[in-house]
Amino acid sequence: MVQSYDVLVIGGGIIGLSCGYYLTKQGKRVVVLESGGFADGASGACDDMILFQSKKPGINLELAFESLELYKSLVGELEDSLGFANYGGMVLIENERELEVMEEFVMQQRSYGLDVEILTKAAMRKKQPFLHERFIASTYSPMDSQAYPFAVMHKFARKGRQMGMQVVHKSPVVGIQKDGTGDFLVTTAQNMQYRAPHVVNAAGAWAGKVADLIGLNVPMEPRRGQIIITEKIPAIGETNLWSAKYLVTKLKPGIQIDSTEEEKRLGLAFALTRTEGDSYLIGSTREFVGYDKRTTMEGIRAIINQAVSFIPVLKDVNFIRAIAGLRPATPDGKMVLGEHAGVSGFFTAAGHEGDGISLAPITGKLLADMVCEGRSDARLEELSPNRFASNAKEVS
Amino acid sequence: MANDKDFFICRCEEVTLREIEEVIDEGYHTIDDVKRITRAGMGLCQGRSCGKVIARIISQKTGKPLEEVLQTGYRFPVRTEKLKALEEEGPSDAENN
Repeated sequence: MVQSYDVLVIGGGIIGLSCGYYLTKQGKRVVVLESGGFADGASGACDDMILFQSKKPGINLELAFESLELYKSLVGELEDSLGFANYGGMVLIENERELEVMEEFVMQQRSYGLDVEILTKAAMRKKQPFLHERFIASTYSPMDSQAYPFAVMHKFARKGRQMGMQVVHKSPVVGIQKDGTGDFLVTTAQNMQYRAPHVVNAAGAWAGKVADLIGLNVPMEPRRGQIIITEKIPAIGETNLWSAKYLVTKLKPGIQIDSTEEEKRLGLAFALTRTEGDSYLIGSTREFVGYDKRTTMEGIRAIINQAVSFIPVLKDVNFIRAIAGLRPATPDGKMVLGEHAGVSGFFTAAGHEGDGISLAPITGKLLADMVCEGRSDARLEELSPNRFASNAKEVS
Repeated sequence: MANDKDFFICRCEEVTLREIEEVIDEGYHTIDDVKRITRAGMGLCQGRSCGKVIARIISQKTGKPLEEVLQTGYRFPVRTEKLKALEEEGPSDAENN
């Protein structure tokens, strides 16, 4: 049996559900096809940060600002708090070299309108009294925020359904064809068929495999992030935290930072956020290990050693769970958003790596504008899937 | 007077029968779906107390056999552990599954 819609969204994570929601809101008949269950992929195994300080000044930072505004309006629109909170964030600096890089970075971000500053050691310790003594300074931005991914996904789905959106679980897509009428015919593993003039590939780490079904190239690698979750404890500081080492290596790959072999292999970086449930999420790793999303003793132990070295009192805290998700990573660190030149009506919205929660609302809204109005502003050119079309095939 | 559905199924996260039934009515029919949406089973006991009760509620409401609903895994660690227990090298009694 073939069911007809205006748009088929492949992938029911936070990006797919956001796309589905905003498309439905614009009057489209939408079905979201999810291969697993609710929040089965990276969106259900991540932290909850809406970070500004980790964004390189440019399109990612601009979109993050717009996404934050959307989150604020979604709280009313979706009739839920969405776990939205604004604790601010601090990047912890261990030595002069990191301080130098972060000072330059903070200047750039300020010129883009981000409210961020460098704190002295005393000011830092006032906000974070349990930090290890060795940190010499930190950044601070009151804008860093958070949202609870499960609530955001559930409410996108619930409100979308009220407006007619369908979400189908356990429906991996196994075939995509374009028929004589120009419509797409999408087949799932259960041999169900769905027809529509538009397809949105929001399959996260699997976006390359989905694009491949219709002969398109989307270079996407799964990057495993492991995180541990603590029991509920009283707040141990005012803000969320992460390490400068991560940002410095991301922003200035040329600079040598003291890292052990294990840290390099695991892509270890410190990130600590207080969750909706009063637990802490402590991360994380960034590893290329294919589609293996198991947690590992090596990864968990490395995260714990790092966490205790940053905040020694954590050693007496219980951890109740370890999780791992596959972040969708692109070769240039930017998401893929737009219509494919070779196959009109086929869009990809994926590749956010660690920015999926931050950028989900703006991604869905921009995607819906593109599909509904054929409109795409020029600044989004650099996110187009067509940036990979010419040379990427030759390389591989 | 409190309604007979306003009692906690998951005591760690204080999730009531009413909340769980609402989510099942929305079409979420697995333990993982219900857990992720309501937080039931995400607390200190990690669903060891309430997991089977939730499975039974899903089974009763959907007509799915209980054995089918119960098929789900536990996340590492199997028991809660102090961070310092894993800080040092060496084997741990918390095993990955």
